[in-house]
Amino acid sequence: MDISCRWLADYVDHDLSPDDLAHALTMSGLEVEEVRPVGPASNGILIGEVRAVRPHPNADKLVLCDVNLGNTEPVQIVCGAPNVAAGQRVPVATVGTVLRMPDGDERVPFEIKKMEIRGQASSGMICSGKELELSEDHEGILVLSEDAPVGEPFADYLATNGMALTDSVLDIAITPNRPDAVSHMGVARDVAALTGAALRRPAVDIPEATASENAPFQVTIDAPEACPRYVGILVRGVTIEESPGWLKQRLLAVGLRPRNNVVDLTNYVMYECGQPLHAFDFHDLAAQRIHVRLAEADETFTTLDGVEREIPEGALFICDGERPVALAGIMGGENSEVTANTTDILIESAYFDPVTIRKTAKALGLSTDSSYRFERGVDAGGQLWAAARAASLIAEIAGGEIEAEGVVDAHPKPQQPRVIELRTSRVTDLLGVNVGADRITHILETLGFEIEDAGNDVLRCVVPLYRPDVSLEVDLIEEIARIYGYDNIPTPTHTTIPTHTPRELPATALRRQARQLLAGIGYRETFTNSMLPEDRAEQFNTPPFGGPKEGPLVETLNPISREMAALRPSLLPGMLDVLQFNYNHGQRALHFFEFGHIFRKASDGGTVIPGYAEHESLLIASTGITTQAGWDTRAQHADIFDLKGVVESLLEELRIPDVSMEPVYDSTDLTKHHLRITAFDGARYIGVIAELSDELAEAYDQESAVCAAELDWSALVELAAPHLERSYEPVSRFPVVERDLAVVVDEATPAGAMLDEIRNTGEPLLKHAGIFDLYDGKGIPDGKKSIAFTMRFGADRTLTDAEVDEQMTRILRQLEEAFGAVLRQ
Amino acid sequence: MLDRIDELRSEINNASINSLEEAEEFRIRYLGQRSGIITNLFKKIGEVAPEDRPTVGKELNALKGTVESLHEAALARLEEETDGDAPEVDLTLPGRRPQTGSVHPLTQTLNDITRLFERFGFSVAEGPEIEDDWHNFTALNFPPEHPARDMQDTFFVESPDGPRNGVVLRTHTSPVQIRVMENTAPPVRIIAPGRVYRNEAISYKSFCLFHQVEGLYIDEGVTLGDLKQILRTFAEAFFGEVVQMRFRPSYFPFTEPSAEVDIWWEDEEHPEGGRWMEILGSGMVHPNVLESVGVDSERYTGYAFGMGVERIAMLRYGIDDIRTFYENDVRFLEQF
Repeated sequence: MDISCRWLADYVDHDLSPDDLAHALTMSGLEVEEVRPVGPASNGILIGEVRAVRPHPNADKLVLCDVNLGNTEPVQIVCGAPNVAAGQRVPVATVGTVLRMPDGDERVPFEIKKMEIRGQASSGMICSGKELELSEDHEGILVLSEDAPVGEPFADYLATNGMALTDSVLDIAITPNRPDAVSHMGVARDVAALTGAALRRPAVDIPEATASENAPFQVTIDAPEACPRYVGILVRGVTIEESPGWLKQRLLAVGLRPRNNVVDLTNYVMYECGQPLHAFDFHDLAAQRIHVRLAEADETFTTLDGVEREIPEGALFICDGERPVALAGIMGGENSEVTANTTDILIESAYFDPVTIRKTAKALGLSTDSSYRFERGVDAGGQLWAAARAASLIAEIAGGEIEAEGVVDAHPKPQQPRVIELRTSRVTDLLGVNVGADRITHILETLGFEIEDAGNDVLRCVVPLYRPDVSLEVDLIEEIARIYGYDNIPTPTHTTIPTHTPRELPATALRRQARQLLAGIGYRETFTNSMLPEDRAEQFNTPPFGGPKEGPLVETLNPISREMAALRPSLLPGMLDVLQFNYNHGQRALHFFEFGHIFRKASDGGTVIPGYAEHESLLIASTGITTQAGWDTRAQHADIFDLKGVVESLLEELRIPDVSMEPVYDSTDLTKHHLRITAFDGARYIGVIAELSDELAEAYDQESAVCAAELDWSALVELAAPHLERSYEPVSRFPVVERDLAVVVDEATPAGAMLDEIRNTGEPLLKHAGIFDLYDGKGIPDGKKSIAFTMRFGADRTLTDAEVDEQMTRILRQLEEAFGAVLRQ
Repeated sequence: MLDRIDELRSEINNASINSLEEAEEFRIRYLGQRSGIITNLFKKIGEVAPEDRPTVGKELNALKGTVESLHEAALARLEEETDGDAPEVDLTLPGRRPQTGSVHPLTQTLNDITRLFERFGFSVAEGPEIEDDWHNFTALNFPPEHPARDMQDTFFVESPDGPRNGVVLRTHTSPVQIRVMENTAPPVRIIAPGRVYRNEAISYKSFCLFHQVEGLYIDEGVTLGDLKQILRTFAEAFFGEVVQMRFRPSYFPFTEPSAEVDIWWEDEEHPEGGRWMEILGSGMVHPNVLESVGVDSERYTGYAFGMGVERIAMLRYGIDDIRTFYENDVRFLEQF
């Protein structure tokens, strides 16, 4: 919210510059986000008299003005304003003056120089109200009164009219706990507490409220919970017209657009004390009645912005004798607004329940200056003062008189101030510094709390009604701390921490291992969006990707856009975007991994939030070049065995026990073929390694095979956690024996099964078995292939050739039996 | 014969070899297959008296050895002299590089932050991204219908009017505080890193999700001074000991008193030569929060703080658009 420094000075005297004031407020809880200068950046604006106006020889829309600036000879100024005329007194920015000229929503410095405009000399500029930030008028120059003293500084002239040429506006970010600070008087209260200056409240005669039966209008409240207080004051005989300059200037400074004197004054008082007001045209109020009630179902209402709205049930209406005339606390009605012809006005100053206003404002998506204040909680004791202040200003400025007996204060539920006991020792305990009872008392009193020493270190604090946020002892401690100054709270040089055994979560430790491994072998970590369009999410919500269990997508009720309506059921779609983006930016070696949560709805229990299955997933993807072409190497491209090897290394690195990979040769919507990875013989799902279908790869612009593995990281962590602690196995001191064996088998015989068979047969002497050649060319019969195995034997003793020969014979025999293998000669 | 051998020995020992050509001539002169002097002498060994043959043979062999070693030595010397003109390998050829990978800058920053706090005795805790109203809001002293709920634009998975008062994408990692305190008696000293969501318009400075590290310390006798101390230490460790830091009052529903921390960030383009950048929010844990998890708020006090990992990564790396982190351009990733 905007606070004008000039306006603020009405309520408190202080010696701070705008920047120092901004700093002081920021450091006490009212964060000033910007200090915005208003008005010219330098002096030099004088009152000029336009002596003569002559046509510009070279431009139709410009004229030459001879302007008298006092003692010197008249100067020639080129002017483009349609309203300039001889005899006018006008503000003139003389040569050297720096103005802040409007440029879109901003203002930029502009220095007035002696110059030629279309061939004619011009020494200065005659200014419009907008150029000087005095009004919004930029159609023509500002014309001053006929007695404005020629040659005198314009600033002096303004001062005699209660205005100022320059100002500074503080843009304060008000936190939700500070409803008291949403006004100039509220900010002034903090300034007074910070500087020790006295707070000045405008003097207002508070009229006596009239007994209801004698009043010229009646107020009935059907919903005292939602409207515990309603003050109305009737002012008759006003003249609706443009506001005086000072009022317009102040409203403009805080970002309000001036409308007419009555509306402007209600806004003025709201920005002065924080109480939103509304002015009705009294003659529009049927039966001279105000009736406050809750909206029923299916009611509509046209607010004064001309919009017909469907009003949610339970919203609060201000009605007259027949119909709603205002949407309480949010906006008045078109049917009763003040117009140019209004003569009698009813000023409304009420307290509305914050929750009621907030619900309605949210439901309608309509936030106004008024709703903003009510939903935070206005001063429950300030209604009569604000109404009287507005009424007296209106009577003064718009004419008219406050109607005798025209003041009604309907107050069905008076609010009692809270009393909180504050232990001064608790202040010390929480802040770590002894502020002292005297200082505490002083701080709280300057903020408007009434303090009574209850003995035993306890202060009894009466909370002013404008501080609805202060309800606990700790709230008082915050008030003390922010005025005492956070900077004055000492930082301890020593600190204790509780004794504990440092333990790392297995998930953290294992993630680090996995990242290290993957980054070390050429994979780059990615971070992608968790939200995606529903149709894309649905496309990937299908096996084999996305985890062990199927389930419906999780969607958000209020997505930013349809592009982000669903939560990812798999990390694959995000990764495909990464592949596509990088391919289209010229990258041909695409190897990535990502850790992230994936989401599905789940009907069974066992999840953290019932109904939602959320898993951490690890996706690894690879396509394109694995080995770059070099001076003696040819480029190699990724296939599924590259990725399978990566996953095998990873599972080994994480010590995942008893893993099996079951090939699935059938294609799916997403894959050409894949491997299903499980532990304990299928009992525990781990993940999938797949070569994606050509259609999918092409849809993401990929020209070579795209392989992706998605692993259920939560499952891996569970499986790996018991193996995080390692124990050493002594390394054998005896030599190993290496043997090779080549056999010919049917083409369809799975190599993996043969390896398993070899390992089982060779135990315990066989320490390692691998495949070093696969061949089906010349010399091998059609329909057959040759597989060459390499084996390593060892034991805690030196093996004899005979022992190894015997193993080799057993292995060969087993291969013959199980697979019809024939020893390759 | 032996005289001839002596003569040759002196000739051989005095021979000078100054080029590869001369070395080859030297070898052929004595050991050439057809007309080498020593080769020929071997052929004539049959003409020597039988009793002298062993001696002559031995001498000839020794002489042959001398020639060979002189020849080799000369070659070695000459090759060394000519080195650089024609090396055996071109060592300027580029090496065969393995492909390099990288860890995402957000992970690196997040790890640096957690590692730092782990040194101060904090343990890492994690929680789900889909949260219920209780953990994300109510237990954290966000009363229903309180304007404070507007401070965090929330994605709803279930409506707030539903049976569970709403299920949301967590707007902060503070719910992890609640989950930990629900299961652990004080003292509690944890940090909770993770992904959080905000329903905000996407721009260079805000994305619909980001990462947060939340810290919590609950114990007897914890003060606002302690909070200042840990945050100053953090700022100095992360941004250098000369960092200018501002610790100022603010508001969060789950802390009271609350504070925000700004650091001064030099920026030549800024008229004041820099600006205050907010890096984290913090405060003393609100007694309502402690009571909501059954912790005696009279006996225990504590502090909490939370920071955005993206914001800190943007500052430390000079990144000016938050969306860069989620684009995953290899040319960006490979810089980290």
